[in-house]
Amino acid sequence: MPLTILRNLYRQIVFDLKEFLLNIQEFFFFSVRAFVTFPKVRTYWRDVLDQMTICGTDSIPIVLVSSISIGALLAIEVGNLLEDFGAKTMLGRSTSISVLRELGPLLMGLMLSARFGSRNGAELGAMKISEQIDALRAFGTDPVAKLVMPRLVAALVMFFPLTALSDYAGLHSAAYLAEHYHKLDPGIFWNSVYPRLLPKDFVVGFLKAPVFAIIITLVSSFNGFSARGGTAGVGRSTIKGIVVSSGLVLVANFYVSKIVLENM
Amino acid sequence: MIELKNVCLSYGDKVILKNISLKVQDNTIKAILGPSGVGKSTILKLMLGLIKPDCGSVFIDGRDITHLKESELYEIRRKMGMVFQGNALFDSLTISQNIGFFLRENLKLPEKEVNRMVGEQIRFAGLEGYEDLLPESLSGGMRKRVAIGRAMVFNPRMILFDEPTAGLDPVSSKKILTLISSLRHNSNLGAVIVTHIIDDVFNVADCVAVLYQGEIIFDDVTEKLHDSRHPFIRSILSDKILEL
Repeated sequence: MPLTILRNLYRQIVFDLKEFLLNIQEFFFFSVRAFVTFPKVRTYWRDVLDQMTICGTDSIPIVLVSSISIGALLAIEVGNLLEDFGAKTMLGRSTSISVLRELGPLLMGLMLSARFGSRNGAELGAMKISEQIDALRAFGTDPVAKLVMPRLVAALVMFFPLTALSDYAGLHSAAYLAEHYHKLDPGIFWNSVYPRLLPKDFVVGFLKAPVFAIIITLVSSFNGFSARGGTAGVGRSTIKGIVVSSGLVLVANFYVSKIVLENM
Repeated sequence: MIELKNVCLSYGDKVILKNISLKVQDNTIKAILGPSGVGKSTILKLMLGLIKPDCGSVFIDGRDITHLKESELYEIRRKMGMVFQGNALFDSLTISQNIGFFLRENLKLPEKEVNRMVGEQIRFAGLEGYEDLLPESLSGGMRKRVAIGRAMVFNPRMILFDEPTAGLDPVSSKKILTLISSLRHNSNLGAVIVTHIIDDVFNVADCVAVLYQGEIIFDDVTEKLHDSRHPFIRSILSDKILEL
């Protein structure tokens, strides 16, 4: 009896491992196809514009809310800490580094993973389940070129201004809280920000934008394209897309920072 | 002409098609009859190259499409229109945009020409006044007619229908069957109709293949179906609708 259980467990592990490796392989080919179809951007420029509105303009409120909140929170917490050491004048420096390098892009990535990624997963999953993706193929249209490439191009373009907006809003909310909560003169705050910012602070932040754009778009779209099992399947693939892309955004955030900071 | 030669297909452990061979001549309406879940829709997807067989070959006009790349298949698929079981209309596009999708997407015709051709299909399918609505606003029968219009608009040589009357009320079913019958008279088209409703076969098909337990057990002109001695065919002739 225990031997049978062990054998079944072994088979299940082997099966799951095979599934996982096959998924990785399929994802790789799917990603290559998405990039290979880039020359068709002129054919699908309307779809690209639509997606730029969805992932860019429509995402502004959520990016603003998250970056303003984190900027304000950082100003309060770091300000309290620096006050204990009598170094409150360094508040601008410490919050600007945190916002520009790490928290601004990271929060934006997580918010867009939830917003843009979930939309992609649900929309493409529903299209898969209702055979609309098969219909595209049946009518001689490459579904990756029509549905995934415009999303990828739009995300690659729009994540830069969203990162800039996130940085701007985060820094200004921190400056506002520094002035009104910690009674720190705005001149002192900004004087500790601008002269001390280095090119690498911007490179780290802005390099994350295209990395997150690729991760969020491809993972969510791939999961949408892989949806099966009716509406419940669409739900499962959407959740999987958000969880995996959020996890990868966190991991990528660490590695981009590490690589850039070690080499600049 | 479409030809399947010794095609077999399995999903995991489940064998769907066992070494089947099938021919669909131009300008004829061929029905593929069989119970639900037996692999009839799979045959249509094989004909379009949407899925690959485990063994055997699929020929379109004598060309083996089994191992063609996706980009090479697009040319082949442009000879055929497909009406999916659930219609698969693009739900973010209006009725006229759905019908004109292929013309705008692949043929890059001038907008004036697209509008003329879409207008023809709208009239043919009896959908005047509904051009600017989204598919969700239409009844099941009307959606089916939109799907037929979308499949016909680029003048394909063959149209593949996946359960064209399934889930429709008798009046809508009759309209759809009349529409399918009129295809041949109006456009000299060939068609493959996958169905589990035997009356549909006698109403529109010139010939019929019966698929049972993954094998073709009958493949001849429709009239000869009555002469078959196969127990399954005898049972479906008496029951009319296959609910197995």
